Amino acid sequence: MPERIRGTDGEVVRAVLGGDVERYAELVRRYRDRYARYAARMLGSLDAAEDAVQDAFVRAFDQLRQCRDPENFAGWFFLILRNRCYAERRRRSREGPRVDELAGALEAPDHPDGAVERAERRRILQEALLKLTPDQREVFVLKHLEGMSYDEIAAILGATVPSLKMRMHRAYDRLREELKDVL
Amino acid sequence: MTAPYHPLVKRLLDGELTLADLPPELRPEGEAALRLLEALDREPVTLSPGLEARVMHTVRRRAESPGRRAWRWLAAPREIRIRLRPWVAGAALAGALALVMLIARPPHPETGAPSAGLATAESVFVRFVLYAPEARQVGVAGTFNEWDPEATPLVRSAEAGVWTATVALPVGQHQYAFVIDGERWVADPAAPRVDDGFGRANSLIAVVPGGRAL
Repeated sequence: MPERIRGTDGEVVRAVLGGDVERYAELVRRYRDRYARYAARMLGSLDAAEDAVQDAFVRAFDQLRQCRDPENFAGWFFLILRNRCYAERRRRSREGPRVDELAGALEAPDHPDGAVERAERRRILQEALLKLTPDQREVFVLKHLEGMSYDEIAAILGATVPSLKMRMHRAYDRLREELKDVL
Repeated sequence: MTAPYHPLVKRLLDGELTLADLPPELRPEGEAALRLLEALDREPVTLSPGLEARVMHTVRRRAESPGRRAWRWLAAPREIRIRLRPWVAGAALAGALALVMLIARPPHPETGAPSAGLATAESVFVRFVLYAPEARQVGVAGTFNEWDPEATPLVRSAEAGVWTATVALPVGQHQYAFVIDGERWVADPAAPRVDDGFGRANSLIAVVPGGRAL
């Protein structure tokens, strides 16, 4: 059932800051899945993505007064989630990759109609994505999975379009190298 | 080593060109490149239904705790401006200087390097300093705070462009990096660096009882 629209992000943020804490659930419902795919692809694991999204929502609540543009809560929340993903990747890079990262934990459980080959390609591509640098992976995920334009990515990350293209083009070359035996 | 994609093929992948725009000799490479994007898993990712309840449970607890609210208010960085008469400013400066000499060692002379003072037998006060005049916000994230870029904010000091934070670090070796404006991770320019394992460098500090050793 679609969520009943009760107010803009700005209205909800102001209500929460005014003491109506329960309305924060509206923001959680609105954005919990929007950036889930980003977190999952950045971290390579659904469990890690869920932890990151949950933690980002709690941090966003703690820092809600610092949200300078409440109408753009989504963009502000994304930056908090992004920081969590980067911090988590750094932490885990010292522990080594987890088994579920390398085993294609993100693929769908069922592959009807002989889609096994496609699923295998997806799994290999996901492994290759995890070999990109976080900067490269991020721009690849935002453009090719989230469907954002370079201009939109530049606006949300505070980067320039030429620098994003440079990251992306290096990512293409790295993926080509990683997938030379598959594609 | 596989050759990099032709620049026109990269523009094809960027969506700026179509296969028909490529010269015939590049089309096989373009078709192979597009297969890469076709293999992407674009299925939406749905998190567990319990996430909302868990977030709200934590949020309610935090909202209900007056102590936590007071602490957040006290701990939140805010800019204050004080205008003092010259003789008051002089006296205050002398007092502050005396206080600083009592409670801390002077900062390390190298800009950007952490300096240290003795805290306990197991931990040492380390002062992180970064010169970042363009920054609006600076934090330090490292092995000592689970790489949380928001856990340890640096405060803009009176000296233009200089940000500092004093942290009690356990004795041992720590890796860290500064986080500028919540998104740019930079290594400490005045500390040894180590590869972080995925394309960037972290800074390194070794804390020993009674001081630090880099």
